[in-house]
Amino acid sequence: MALLGADARRDFEIHRYPLLIYALVPLVALVLQAWLPRILGRFAWVDLPLVITVYFALGRRNPVQGTVIGAVMGLFEDALSHYAIGINGIAKTAVGFLAASVGIRVEVDNHTVRVLLIFVLSLVSSAIYLFVSRFMLGLAIEWSWLTELFRAVGNSVVGLVLFPVLDRLQIRE
Amino acid sequence: MDSLFTRYRNLVVLLAFLVVQIAGLAVQVRRTSYGRSTLDTVDPKSVRLIRLWANAVVSPPERLIHATKIGSTGLWTDYFDLIHVRQQNQDLQKTVDRLRLEQAALLEDARQGQRLQAMLGFQEKYIYTTVPAQVYGSSGSDRSHVFYIDKGAHNGLKPDMAVITSDGIVGKVRDVFPYSAQVLAVNDPTSGAGVILETTRIRGVLKGDVAGRLEVVGVTADQRIKPGENVLTAGGDLIFPRGLPVGVVERVATDPDNDGLVDIYLKPATHLDRLDEVLVITSTEPRFSKQDQQDITTSENLKGAEAATISDQLKAAQIMGEKLPGLVDPSLPPDKQPLYDDTNPNPATPPPQPLHPDEFSPGAAYTPPSATNPPAGSGTGADNSSASHAPSGAGSKAAPASHSTPQTPPQRNL
Repeated sequence: MALLGADARRDFEIHRYPLLIYALVPLVALVLQAWLPRILGRFAWVDLPLVITVYFALGRRNPVQGTVIGAVMGLFEDALSHYAIGINGIAKTAVGFLAASVGIRVEVDNHTVRVLLIFVLSLVSSAIYLFVSRFMLGLAIEWSWLTELFRAVGNSVVGLVLFPVLDRLQIRE
Repeated sequence: MDSLFTRYRNLVVLLAFLVVQIAGLAVQVRRTSYGRSTLDTVDPKSVRLIRLWANAVVSPPERLIHATKIGSTGLWTDYFDLIHVRQQNQDLQKTVDRLRLEQAALLEDARQGQRLQAMLGFQEKYIYTTVPAQVYGSSGSDRSHVFYIDKGAHNGLKPDMAVITSDGIVGKVRDVFPYSAQVLAVNDPTSGAGVILETTRIRGVLKGDVAGRLEVVGVTADQRIKPGENVLTAGGDLIFPRGLPVGVVERVATDPDNDGLVDIYLKPATHLDRLDEVLVITSTEPRFSKQDQQDITTSENLKGAEAATISDQLKAAQIMGEKLPGLVDPSLPPDKQPLYDDTNPNPATPPPQPLHPDEFSPGAAYTPPSATNPPAGSGTGADNSSASHAPSGAGSKAAPASHSTPQTPPQRNL
């Protein structure tokens, strides 16, 4: 894992995509996220909005953009559920910021690094969700870390398959 | 100041986003009188607006995917899966006939029940009108057991309407949009419904746990609660009509938080993860719907006489059973019945076998006399030998009687 200067990496390796991709990919992720549980039932251990947040945050290497992408994806997820709007929003805002901050300093085109990052950031997202809902809001929610571990693995597998596909959509100079 | 913002721009933006969202959360959570935090059951206007926008963005593509799926499966079911339709149609017709007969037979009981309810001042609410709807999406989170249906305010849906299938209850309408609605499933931890165990009549509150399992909480420990018992809606929650199937008791576990209480885990009557079509109960009335009344009239016209005949036969059999002594005691287990009781000094014995079976002998086929088979006592060696071996009794007396007076009818040889 090569550590580089922030400015050097930002200048050379910012991933750029057509504007349509920025709108379409998150939308497809949200739609599939809402549709997959009807196919996989309670074994739908995947969080596509998180995977997409991490992907764009790593690619753009801009913490502000990572924050915005994460916040939008998280708020949409909350809005589709019946829970308070903002719990997922806070979790994914933080994940977007962290992913972009890591993307500035670390070589992230390597698939292993990406998968590892998704796995860790999935667990970070779960921990923030738990912290906000149980400790900040005092909501009585039941929790299973085993399920969160499965979800982190599921996200990593999806990222392993999805990231090379999304890489093909980049604008090459 | 400007340079400070520029230098810490990323952190400032992050903090701004976090603070705004935390403030937004603060207005959605309230503290109950028990000192616990809970979410408002009704969203504030601003929150509802966000949900409306999210639904407007995500719903159309979801519906498109759902319609594509329906179209592809419809192609299969409409054209290729019709091989056994004729047989299925015949089976269904038989089922309809049987149900019509049952309905006609139960009609009098239903009327009597209604009369008794009227006398007690209690009015049963029947499902009056329903709206069928297709399920096209979910929340996408296993922590939030809600799903979306393709009917909304334009179809007369309102919050807190019950959602069912033909198998049992599913949930209640939580939020209504113009052309869609969000349904809170019964297996969500925040849902609740009053239920009653069918045979033991024990009441409890139905909830979901984090894994999406159904459980009845707040039930006093009772040894009568056994796996396999049906659980129905109790009707006291003003959402679900009484008597709808909820599920079957799977296991009973001690409540870890409350001594003396148990949690009853259920196997849901409906497959809550794979719902396709549901019915939203839009109104309940203390009388049958027009469709129900039509069905009842049809059943009464078609099968009423048949049901009455069966009922009369059952009554007659019951009266005969009560009057006649029997070898079967319904209060005893099969191995303790008097017929099989070895300890009884005077056991009931089965009737002796007849020596000369005739048309009156139980269980014996009687062959009428003919030229090749002369009547008993006509002088054949075989008949004579059997008569000579017969013990003195009814059988031995019957032969001479029939022999001496051939015109008299044969006596019972028991």
